[in-house]
Amino acid sequence: MLIEQAAYRNRWRQVAPEAKACFALAGLVAAFAAGSPGAAAAVAGLLALTTCLGAGVPGLLYLRVALPAVGFLALSCLTLLVAVDGDFTWRWAPDAAPRIAALAGRSLAALAALLGLVLTTPLPDLIGLLRRLRCPELLLDLMVICYRMLFVFSLALHDTLVAQQARLGYATARHSLRSLGLLTANLAVQIWQRAHALHQAALARNGDGPLRFLTPTFAHVGRDTALAALGGALLIALARLGG
Amino acid sequence: MLLEAVSLRHVYADGSIGLDDCSLAVRPGSRNALLGANGSGKTTLLQHFNGLLRPSAGRLLWAGAPVDTSRAGLAALRRRVGLVFQNPDRQLFSASVFEDVSFGPLNLGLDEATVRRRVAQALAAVGMSEQAERPVHHLSFGQKKRVCIAGVLAMQPEMLLLDEPMAGLDAAMQVELLAVLDDLTARGITIVLSTHDVDFAYRWADDIHLLDAGRCIASFAAADLPQQAAALRQAGQAMPAVIELHRLLAARGVLETVPPRSLEALLASLSLQESS
Repeated sequence: MLIEQAAYRNRWRQVAPEAKACFALAGLVAAFAAGSPGAAAAVAGLLALTTCLGAGVPGLLYLRVALPAVGFLALSCLTLLVAVDGDFTWRWAPDAAPRIAALAGRSLAALAALLGLVLTTPLPDLIGLLRRLRCPELLLDLMVICYRMLFVFSLALHDTLVAQQARLGYATARHSLRSLGLLTANLAVQIWQRAHALHQAALARNGDGPLRFLTPTFAHVGRDTALAALGGALLIALARLGG
Repeated sequence: MLLEAVSLRHVYADGSIGLDDCSLAVRPGSRNALLGANGSGKTTLLQHFNGLLRPSAGRLLWAGAPVDTSRAGLAALRRRVGLVFQNPDRQLFSASVFEDVSFGPLNLGLDEATVRRRVAQALAAVGMSEQAERPVHHLSFGQKKRVCIAGVLAMQPEMLLLDEPMAGLDAAMQVELLAVLDDLTARGITIVLSTHDVDFAYRWADDIHLLDAGRCIASFAAADLPQQAAALRQAGQAMPAVIELHRLLAARGVLETVPPRSLEALLASLSLQESS
């Protein structure tokens, strides 16, 4: 929901998704082109600053979204610092530190590039972009349905949870286990019913093939994409120079 | 007649009977209320009108001709007859308002410019132009209902079917929705809606069709409802409050004998009498 919140309320909401995707791609290339961990970290910092200062995504929100991924990365790096010998004993492996630093730097830069895209671009705009890029219809249909259902089911989940809590469904560990089972069963039935209802709704509007929608138009696609490409090229050049 | 059901029968896969010898006719340009208790067959009948369900027996006629149930025939029927479902979350499957409304007209094979124009017109008709870019899950229940109607209006149907359109709406939202429906009627669109609210049906409709146990037990002009006490009882419906109140007032010689259609109209008559 945080990603959703930022994607609809940032200064780059009306910037063409082509431009934002181009800049994110350049960020990914820069992450891999960076010659040193420091350069990769600088790329990550630049991308994060661009998202927060350029697009106006609140810093705290950015950190909250990034935290799980950064935490996972930190955990992974820690495990890489440990070596397991043939006799199943473990020891620290300080010699792996340069490689881990490079890996962490690149991962952080790649994460910042992707966050820059998803925190400034609502998913419908991204799906529209993928449609223009001739992504397979089936994949797009699945994305559309999954995205919409995410909100429908979070509401259904919330309603059922509240109804269970109101009748002491989670008062004890035993009750909680039983309520959780009932909740799962209830949602499974709802999923089936909703799928049927959506099929009926599509048929009622003559939809019996791929889900076709018009996507929003953006005023300055060419200009925005050219600027993004220029910014992206500068980023890659800085990453190379930094090495 | 624009649409006619002739002895429709529908048996669901589990053996339950949805419709049983149900016959009724809808006049072009009219406002129709399917009035009945829960389980009386209102939704089943609406789904037959849109071709989502096929009758086990009986016939459906459009402008006097039997409805063609081939793929092309059903597509033609659904272009003319739009259905708005009761629960908007079961109808809206695209993420943004603009996208969802464009779904129907795109399925008609229209070009992009025409679809964009129709989407804009449909959103304007339901007062949702300002919300076009918003994601569906950020809308209120009433706004979602209006998007559902816009999604069907963009297909420019001749007949609009609404399944319990007032369910879940507060008083203000009901007034807004009624204004939308009045506007559609003024444009010549035939409206058929299902309801179990007899006061609303009497106030709003031109024609009322009473449903009970899958059968249309009576069809009559809404103004004739006071004479349908027996049929209302059979359908499990009470007489509208305004008629009961008017009857008592008329018996005391306070009001004239023609009953008004709403409490507002009754109060207006009383105020008029008082001032004169």
